[in-house]
Amino acid sequence: MSNSAVLQPGIQPGWQIDRFIVTTALAGFALLGLLIWLETAPFMVALFAIGTVLGMALFHGAFGFTAGWRNLVVKKRGAGMRAQLLLFALSSLIMVPMLNSGQPGLIGNIAPVGTSLVVGSFLFGIGMQLGGGCGSGTLFTVGAGNIRMVVTLIFFIAGAVLGSINLPWWLDQPGFDPVPLVNTFGVSGAILVQFIGLGLIAWWVSRIERKAHGSVERDELLWKGQSHGPLRTLITGRWPFTWAILILAAGNALTLAIGGAPWSVTFAFNVWGAKALEVVGVNMSQFEFWTWDYPAMALKDSVLTNIPSVMNIGLLLGAMLAAGLANRFNEASRNRPEGRQFLAAVVGGLLLGYGARLGFGCNIGALFSGIASASLHAWIWFACAFAGSLIGIRLRPWFRLPN
Amino acid sequence: MMERAYNPTRILVALGIILALILADHLRSPTFAFNSGQGNVQTALSQRDESACAPCGAPCPSTRE
Repeated sequence: MSNSAVLQPGIQPGWQIDRFIVTTALAGFALLGLLIWLETAPFMVALFAIGTVLGMALFHGAFGFTAGWRNLVVKKRGAGMRAQLLLFALSSLIMVPMLNSGQPGLIGNIAPVGTSLVVGSFLFGIGMQLGGGCGSGTLFTVGAGNIRMVVTLIFFIAGAVLGSINLPWWLDQPGFDPVPLVNTFGVSGAILVQFIGLGLIAWWVSRIERKAHGSVERDELLWKGQSHGPLRTLITGRWPFTWAILILAAGNALTLAIGGAPWSVTFAFNVWGAKALEVVGVNMSQFEFWTWDYPAMALKDSVLTNIPSVMNIGLLLGAMLAAGLANRFNEASRNRPEGRQFLAAVVGGLLLGYGARLGFGCNIGALFSGIASASLHAWIWFACAFAGSLIGIRLRPWFRLPN
Repeated sequence: MMERAYNPTRILVALGIILALILADHLRSPTFAFNSGQGNVQTALSQRDESACAPCGAPCPSTRE
């Protein structure tokens, strides 16, 4: 038996978990959960728990936006991409009516359309492929102990802060106000229009796959785990895409219901980076972004009161727990990355951060939650980030990253 | 058999540093001051009660022309 893989009594032979990682993640969850409970409000504990479950779903479901896009481009396989489209459709069906139900205190992720969005999402797309993950992908791989992704995360944060300093200038460039599709098409119409858009993309993805392989693998529709029974699959992974889709959609809807806004990841990186700069003496309030009401208060107050921060911390712990349950913590770092791969993490991280700030979020905040809010900016973000991703995929070999 | 690919002490130290940073940040925050009995302090939670603002980083309608 290895040091890290400890057979648990009562668990069927061959079922190994990493007891140290599981215990540490659970202790961290209990400690921080208690702190949040005592110092903030019960709903923040609920959001912290939702973040943890989302982290587990992302890890166990291997739900990476970046790899899904790359698989389509390089291997001409579209299951990952179609799983994302299914997720967007389901969330749209649940959350667009929620947001337009008239219930006070709910607000969607709806952002302006313009130069800032186009440039930001394009840069983000390049960064995804070089950095090795999007916002949620970076977080869940860091939680699972991936060393290279820690480098990506650090420079993601640095890029995000730089982006926040430059954002007001970008917002002064040509663009127009946010466009909620509901204003034009109504609730049912907006959902229908989005379904048509997602359906067309799914058709295009399947066409590429069929052309290259002669048939389409329908992995995104599988309900059962490939190698184990349901209970073991639930605890140790790998989850079928359908499970991850349901959990992620439910998690985002619950985040909206409890927190008042859809799931968002990268704003927390801005806050963490800005707080770090303030510690070393930089006065962030000299920059316009940090004088706006929401960012100014997020910077001033505890991270434990900032919803994206609390959910991100939960997500990290959830991914750590899932990796421990799967006995795969730090698995991706067994082969030490070489110099150029670290350079890719640095460049990719900076592009991710800068792009996310200009583009009003990442695959979660701008794309997933943007479509779930029926905002036009999410669709433009999708197109531009995918275009950037094509360039990032071409650059990967130079950085010695496998395609 | 797989070798352990990480050092448990380093994991605990890293998590301990993160926890210490969170605590240090919290102890100097308006929320902690409010919880300690200081009145008339605006916190992120009281701001949330006053106005809905999406955390996607887009400027709030009230804060930018």
